[in-house]
Amino acid sequence: MNDATLVRKNLFRKKARAILLIISIFIAFLIHGALFAFNAGMSGGFGAVAADRLVTMNRASFTVPMPYAYWGRIQALDGVEAITPLNWVGGYYQEPMNQIQTFAADPESYFIVYPELTVPADQFADALSRRDCAIIGRSVANVQGWEVGQRIPLSSNIWQRDDGTSVWEIDICAIFDAALDNVPTNYALIQYDYFNESLAFGRDSIAWFSLLTGDPDRNDAVAAEIDALFANSPNETRTQTEAAFGESFMAMFGNIALILTLVVGAAFATILMIVGTTMVMAINERIKEVAVMKTLGFPAPRIFRMVLSESILLSLVGGLLGLLAATGLVTLVGAAIADYLPGVHMPLSVALTSLALMLGLGLITGLIPAVTAMRVKIVDALGKS
Amino acid sequence: MFKQTLAVTAINLKSIPQRPGMSAATVLSIALVVGVLLGFLAMANGFRATVQGTGADDIAVVMRAGSQAELNSNLMREDERLIAEAPGIARDADGEPIVSAELYVVTDGMRSASQTPANLPLRGVGPRAPELRDGFTITQGRMFEPGAAELLVGENVLAEYEGFALGEPIRLGSNTWTVVGVFSTGGTVFDSELWTDAPVVQSLYQRGNSFQSVRLRLASPEAIEETRAYLDAEPRLNVDVQSERAFFASQAGGTVTLIEYVGWPLAILMAIGALAGAWNTMYSSVDARVREIATLRALGFSGFSAFLGTMVESLLLALLGGIIGAVVTWLLFDGLTASTLGSSFTQIVFAFAVTPGAMIAGVILALIVGLLGGLIPAMRAARVPLLSVHGG
Amino acid sequence: MTANALYELSNLSKRYTRGREEITIFSDLDMAIPHGDFIAIMGPSGSGKTTLLNLLGGIDAPSSGEVRFEGARIDNLSQAKLSKWRAANAGFIFQFYNLMPTLTAAQNVELPLLLTKLSGKERRKRIATALEIVGIADRAGHRPRQLSGGQQQRVAIARAIVADPKVLLADEPTGDLDRASADETLKTLQLLNSEMGKTIVMVTHDPAAAKYAKRELHLDKGRFVEKEALA
Ligand SMILES: Nc1ncnc2c1ncn2[C@@H]1O[C@H](COP(=O)(O)OP(=O)(O)OP(=O)(O)O)[C@@H](O)[C@H]1O
Ligand SMILES: [Mg+2]
Repeated sequence: MNDATLVRKNLFRKKARAILLIISIFIAFLIHGALFAFNAGMSGGFGAVAADRLVTMNRASFTVPMPYAYWGRIQALDGVEAITPLNWVGGYYQEPMNQIQTFAADPESYFIVYPELTVPADQFADALSRRDCAIIGRSVANVQGWEVGQRIPLSSNIWQRDDGTSVWEIDICAIFDAALDNVPTNYALIQYDYFNESLAFGRDSIAWFSLLTGDPDRNDAVAAEIDALFANSPNETRTQTEAAFGESFMAMFGNIALILTLVVGAAFATILMIVGTTMVMAINERIKEVAVMKTLGFPAPRIFRMVLSESILLSLVGGLLGLLAATGLVTLVGAAIADYLPGVHMPLSVALTSLALMLGLGLITGLIPAVTAMRVKIVDALGKS
Repeated sequence: MFKQTLAVTAINLKSIPQRPGMSAATVLSIALVVGVLLGFLAMANGFRATVQGTGADDIAVVMRAGSQAELNSNLMREDERLIAEAPGIARDADGEPIVSAELYVVTDGMRSASQTPANLPLRGVGPRAPELRDGFTITQGRMFEPGAAELLVGENVLAEYEGFALGEPIRLGSNTWTVVGVFSTGGTVFDSELWTDAPVVQSLYQRGNSFQSVRLRLASPEAIEETRAYLDAEPRLNVDVQSERAFFASQAGGTVTLIEYVGWPLAILMAIGALAGAWNTMYSSVDARVREIATLRALGFSGFSAFLGTMVESLLLALLGGIIGAVVTWLLFDGLTASTLGSSFTQIVFAFAVTPGAMIAGVILALIVGLLGGLIPAMRAARVPLLSVHGG
Repeated sequence: MTANALYELSNLSKRYTRGREEITIFSDLDMAIPHGDFIAIMGPSGSGKTTLLNLLGGIDAPSSGEVRFEGARIDNLSQAKLSKWRAANAGFIFQFYNLMPTLTAAQNVELPLLLTKLSGKERRKRIATALEIVGIADRAGHRPRQLSGGQQQRVAIARAIVADPKVLLADEPTGDLDRASADETLKTLQLLNSEMGKTIVMVTHDPAAAKYAKRELHLDKGRFVEKEALA
């Protein structure tokens, strides 16, 4: 037997009570772990993989197009190593609900700007040689069950062809994969020229450019240079890093981080009160035992440590189980939705925050009981029989 | 029987002050659970009210076939003329059809609270646009002049964004506008928009003669069938027509469902946590009174009265928590404005709505927590052995 | 004062202030307790017996005067030093046993050993011996709830002696026991005194219990009246 035995026995003295407390702590940490892991997965979906990658779009909104001519003008700038234009297609297959995120792109430059994506060389060569070729992401292929060689009628809910229809026949010539799990491949690329030349309206427009500066330190200078180029024109631009764009895009949904913090805050306030008051009560029930321990010669600091350890142990048992369940949940759901939202997993930072919260919770809920126990006056406590 | 229960309940309730910390913790934790649930429901209800409240049955929206959002649609001046000839459209005293061809571009504003840029819709409307929004009023200033770069701004824009004060010039993209008036439609999505004359938008944004949607007032909600049949049959048109209500319902549905699907499971999970707290408190309550209960039982009180006494205590604590949670959420959140992404990547400002229905749902959730939390401790109270009279 | 006394009390006073008035429990008490003594302290309720025992055990401090143990003062030690002193020198036996309800008899007995640096093997030996001495070895794995009052008190005595203290301080150890259990307990104490040389100070109300001690002290109105015990 040692102090740890005593701590454990005291904690589980009333089994029902300990288990109930563990359940409530478990739930708070499950909520915390799962919500913040999903939040990280959602923000990470924009994968700031390359630190030197910028996006340029119309200052008004990324739904407002820019002229085709901007491509050459930006490419001519010194700081721009590589650039690729993209346009929305608003694609769907057969049913408008069956959306396929599709971009009109220039495949050759696209895969230079996105080196984390890989396409088999033979498929890529084939795709470049034919105008009606599409290169689709692995997730699209998985979800739709498509294979290389298939011919697909792709509809657009934005654009119309000059023949009045909204359908483009495309050949699936290549499938691209991502080198990392959290890089999405849930979209398709069709060739810009093939798409553009058949448009009934809005020809030669570009939704945004992705470009590489070659050096993150040059990002600000290059961004400023690009935006200066088009200042005071009818289509001013806004150039920002991919990460900054991802953040501002998420911010449009509202202050999700604030909502999550409020919810998790409420969950923690709940257990703080429940666990805190129960621990205070639990120690009050044992004042006499504490006095006996002191009489036997247990020094006050040791008793302080034992009571504090008890609340920390409680918090760790509930918290670790909660973190484990959150990790399990996030891993399961993450695998199930990988084709729609890749890279959802339990990030180390969330797990570490969770651990810190466990220790914090243990310390806060244990402090008052520990001080009470440490200050117990033997004579007074034993006097009450 | 009734008297017994009353007596035991009274003893229970009088003992609550002996456990002030635990009882307060139970009440507050249940209040928090209810608060979280109501927060989410208020968000969902507010969003739904804003977006669906916008939709009238006797107003129809016509867009290019297949385009699910205004931003994706494209209609020409000739299309508008053809559409206006359709039957089923309400006409004014002069026999003119009440229609408005509109186009909509996205521009950016600066949110005053967070100092972050956000997309704002700028809508070019026809002169009859106000007649096509129920409850439209100009609350300050005047209507824009046709052909002038003047803005009529929605109430929410004024509240949430910087630089839209009446009479002030404001730069949007490369153009400078003057704010000449503020309008309200009673909290619908239009209150998050900027309005101006449609031709001004067409020229400043190089849209030629194109529009995105034609709004029309129907002679009656049923008249839409007549209109639809005509538009479908017209070979020069390739358009969809739907009632405004149906249009907004399809736009809002996903977001509302998402909020509710997140809110309920979270609230239920938290309720289980609070249940543990309530259970704990009731156990302590029974523990503290074992001797008392045994004495009563020895005096001839039934086990059932001991059971009921504990249940009533638990339910009362839960009810108190539920009411506190509902009232505080109502005070804090009702009417609070927030914004999120609406259709076409623009911002919709909506007000949290803590509805009576949601408040009742919250209190019921609290009572369920109280019921389940009290059940087992109450059963224990009913089975306190008579011998406990002797021991402490 | 005998030079080789275990305890020497000099000018010992204990006063309490209750509101405005000051009550003196006893004042200017002088007494020596030699090694190997077995004293029964008797006296009316409220006379200060428990108070005195607390002073001897270093869990309460006198208002004035000195308590010396083996020649060294313990009345002015810090709480931390007193804890150490108690762990090393004093064993306590209470009227209501005060065992830890969550621990088995053996674990209760082991408690004071947590304050020593003894090896696990040595600990187990000591626990076994202590339980053997009080005659409750067969109940080592039982929890206090599963033991009778007399059995619990024996476990408490085992706990008091397991760390081999010099003095045992017992406050009405038989106050909660029936005659037969009380006699068993007292015999055990007597044995500890005679065979193992433990100095024992026992507070009791029961004249029959006091007979087991070597001498009786009567505390009344703040003074001692000594009475040599009959053999
Ligand atoms: N903390 C205190 N404050 C005030 N008075 C106290 C305090 N503790 C003890 N006393 C008083 O000191 C006196 C002696 O108490 P003590 O417990 O020593 O008596 P006792 O002789 O052990 O009595 P009993 O035989 O009933 O156990 C009592 O009158 C008691 O009321
Ligand atoms: Mg006493």
